[in-house]
Amino acid sequence: MRPAQDNQGSFLGRISIRRNQFVDVNNEQEQEDLELFQKHIADRFTELLSPPQPPPSDETNTVASVAATEQIMSVTWLRKLMDVFLCCEAEFKAILLMGRDPTQISKPPFDRLVPEMLDRSIKALDICTAVVNGIDSVRHYQRLAEIAVTALEQRPLGDGNVRRAKRALANLVVALSLEDKENVSGGGGGGGGGNKTTERSWSFGRRSGGSSAASKGGATIGQLKSSSWAVGRNWSAAKQIHAMTANLTPPRGNEAAGLPQPMFIMSTVMVFVMWVLTAAVPCQERSGLANHLPVPPKHLNWAQSLIGIHEKIGDEWKKKEKKGSAGLMEEMTRMEKLGHSLMEFADGFHYPAEKDAAESAAAQVAEMAEICRRMEEELVPLQQQIREVFHRIVRSRAEILEVLEQAGKVSAPVV
Amino acid sequence: MEPPETSLDSDGSKLETAERIILRWDSAATDGARGKMIFQSDRDEVDRFLRAVDEIQRSLSSVSFSSSSSSAATTVDEHEVKANSAIQIAMARLEDEFRNILLSHTTTFEPDSLFLEESSSVSPSLCVELGEDTTTVTTEEEELNSPGGSGSSRLTRRRSSYRSTSSIREMDLISPEAVSDLRSIVQRMVAAGYSRECIQVYGTVRKSAMETIFKQLGIVKISIGDIRKWIRAAKVCIRVVFSSEKRLCEQLFDGICTAMDETCFMETVKASALRLFTFPEAISISRRSPEKLFKILDLHDALTDMLPDIEAIFDSDSSDAIRAQAVEIQSRLAEASRGILSEFENAVLREPSIVPVPGGTIHPLTRYVMNYIVMISDYKQTLDDLIMSNPSTGSDPNTPDMDFTELESKSPLDLHLIWLIVVLHFNLEEKSKHYRDTSLSHIFIMNNIHYIVQKVKRSPELREMIGDHYLRKLTGIFRHAATNYQRATWVRVLNSLRDEGLHVSGSFSSGVSRSALRERFKAFNTMFEEVHRTQSTWSVPDAQLREELRISLSEHLIPAYRSFLGRFRGHIESGRHPENYLKYSVEDIETIVLDLFEGYTTPPHLRRR
Repeated sequence: MRPAQDNQGSFLGRISIRRNQFVDVNNEQEQEDLELFQKHIADRFTELLSPPQPPPSDETNTVASVAATEQIMSVTWLRKLMDVFLCCEAEFKAILLMGRDPTQISKPPFDRLVPEMLDRSIKALDICTAVVNGIDSVRHYQRLAEIAVTALEQRPLGDGNVRRAKRALANLVVALSLEDKENVSGGGGGGGGGNKTTERSWSFGRRSGGSSAASKGGATIGQLKSSSWAVGRNWSAAKQIHAMTANLTPPRGNEAAGLPQPMFIMSTVMVFVMWVLTAAVPCQERSGLANHLPVPPKHLNWAQSLIGIHEKIGDEWKKKEKKGSAGLMEEMTRMEKLGHSLMEFADGFHYPAEKDAAESAAAQVAEMAEICRRMEEELVPLQQQIREVFHRIVRSRAEILEVLEQAGKVSAPVV
Repeated sequence: MEPPETSLDSDGSKLETAERIILRWDSAATDGARGKMIFQSDRDEVDRFLRAVDEIQRSLSSVSFSSSSSSAATTVDEHEVKANSAIQIAMARLEDEFRNILLSHTTTFEPDSLFLEESSSVSPSLCVELGEDTTTVTTEEEELNSPGGSGSSRLTRRRSSYRSTSSIREMDLISPEAVSDLRSIVQRMVAAGYSRECIQVYGTVRKSAMETIFKQLGIVKISIGDIRKWIRAAKVCIRVVFSSEKRLCEQLFDGICTAMDETCFMETVKASALRLFTFPEAISISRRSPEKLFKILDLHDALTDMLPDIEAIFDSDSSDAIRAQAVEIQSRLAEASRGILSEFENAVLREPSIVPVPGGTIHPLTRYVMNYIVMISDYKQTLDDLIMSNPSTGSDPNTPDMDFTELESKSPLDLHLIWLIVVLHFNLEEKSKHYRDTSLSHIFIMNNIHYIVQKVKRSPELREMIGDHYLRKLTGIFRHAATNYQRATWVRVLNSLRDEGLHVSGSFSSGVSRSALRERFKAFNTMFEEVHRTQSTWSVPDAQLREELRISLSEHLIPAYRSFLGRFRGHIESGRHPENYLKYSVEDIETIVLDLFEGYTTPPHLRRR
């Protein structure tokens, strides 16, 4: 998905296309707009930080996950995050471009700031690609979980059903932890262990013809990793995010009062959103992700909620990195817990099931079913939204580059 | 020894035999079942196993029927549980077998063989080996990048590559012998309620195979210069790869379970299909610049060509998204091309360079625009469909207007092309004002408009689109410019050869003032030399036009000079230093005129008599 360079040699590359009349934005109006922008950012992220309280759970409803619908890092929450990003981006673009004299954003300090911002947006595109593919992995986990649910919902629950569930659960748990091994091993492709995982990441469950597919515990490993072929073998989500944070510092002095401020804010928001996505969804090579986000200084008003969300997620990430598990998407985390728990149940199962154990298992199965249902409803729309984000970033880049060209200066490679 | 048959389990022995067979092939068991595959053993073993599975399944169905009438609910439960256990073992086994057959019977094919379909309809110069010889492609691309080059040959090539009748060519992705085995497994798995596992295994294996194919087709890393590459790969993808996957799904799953073939098909190809469209999507939303127009049109045409196949292959509800995306991209590409065209018109109108081209020759803008227009006429077929509204004209008081009344029969595309020329002309007139010498500004206009006319005339397609009416107008313009030039330069010169003012009014003889005559000759010589010096550095590139212009000015100049010389040379010769005044013979004048408009970088030495 990576856009490439176009050749600039043509005569008409120098033609100026002046479509709009540009009026110098007067200072007061601009100040108002900037302040409003900051307020909106703050408001939107505050809402993301503290989602509305769920209604008190029904007595008969044993599914505890209703309350979790809009928890931070749930699929629904991630979708809201995408909406927030699109709103912020639209507002920012209006501030940057509408009615603005193009020469203004080609002079210092914008001759440095704008190319940096454009470079970040290109890197964000790669992340979008990787995340969309990562969501395909999550759907794969969903399918495995659904098999387990189908099996464990059978009545009477016999050895056959439980073994069936166990097979699926084993695949699920292995897939999730395999994901992680590649992340925690500290660099895919390096060293013997790394090589193995990289090789496995290419094989997609493919085996040399004729060999037995059976393995320990009767579980076959139906791996489906996030497609590394989409972003390249050596690509690293963590490194990408880290690169995006380069030169991301709050503007100082009189720069802080003008356009550099919303540029900094928008860039911070973009990097943050990309960081959240890579933390949530299985992505290639994420070790050290928790450390890679420079948090905006705490005194910035608009950033308070964003910082709050970052802290929450960062804590979770650090915890999980130690224990060893994959993406932080709320549903996946719960799925993993349930998976382990149900595996235990399956391991200790003899027909007929012991009443208490069976009831507890049934409740967990119901919860798992609920997670699968939520995933079924929300994952594909989330992919759709991320594609929309991708499109928006491409469009905005194009518009900014056009404006720069009008100013007679093109300082970045063009698409 | 087998237990005696009772009325309750009259099939008990059959059931037990079945169970034994299944247990023998238990993947999870620690003995020799591993490492061997049933479907690689002899056919008898396969049949035995499948019959065993059927037997267990049958008993399960009958158990559920009899359970309601039986009082021994626990016993029935136990039977069911036991059978379920056996079925699970069988299903686990079949899952492995399924995967194994899929993997070991996957046909591998050379990527080149995939392209065979395309190469037959395309000239060799367009055939590119995957990832190897890119020089052919580069040349093609360069050709397309700078509008220029012969129109007609390109048109023919384009027509043959993109208007070829679509042919869906399905291949055997799995060897046919394996298909029936696979199908028999699918039937059992579905009957036992294990369709999820079946779909999951199938999807995993085929998805991975698909990704390999994609890599071989080179779709993974394509940059904007690779439109042709993408088009070729996409056609193969859709007409061969996706269609074959669909057929395979139908062969394996159709009729066994509702919509299972659709589900498996989408599971296999959805991600790849969306990925395939990423490239044209990116093109359709990326920056618009004039050079991109023809690439975008190529892409649009290819997509239009492929759409019937896309709609045939992705015809289910679940594949709605893919169909919709293809259509959306097509329409965005159309929109982009419309946008590019109007932006180009604006760009030409406002092209701001004011440095005059030396010698009044053809301006690079003129060349670029005319080449662009010729290329547009190459793409007439497509653009006629896409361009539906007339150009927006006359919005700005500083811009030209266009009278549409005489152009009623013209299509919107034709009007756009005419408008482009109108706008170009307008810009050229503005540019011509920057010449200090008005004569040169006329030469400039003459040259450029003449070039436009020639370009139009040389392309029959374009000529028809522009129409003779406007062509005549343009011809009038450059002829008028030629006339203006003549007036601007030569009137003064010819004035020095007039009769008036030379004769001294006297009572008896009409004498000629020798001093006045000398002034005249001096004036003529000076002016003529000046013209010679400057205007031989001017340029009229077109040989015929150059010749016509010289002839035209000679027609006035030579007779006038000859007559003047003839009448008055005597007066000069009878005075002192006639050579200062009678510098040039008529032949000299004729020869010097040949220097005019030659575009010399340094003025030629003036010849003396």
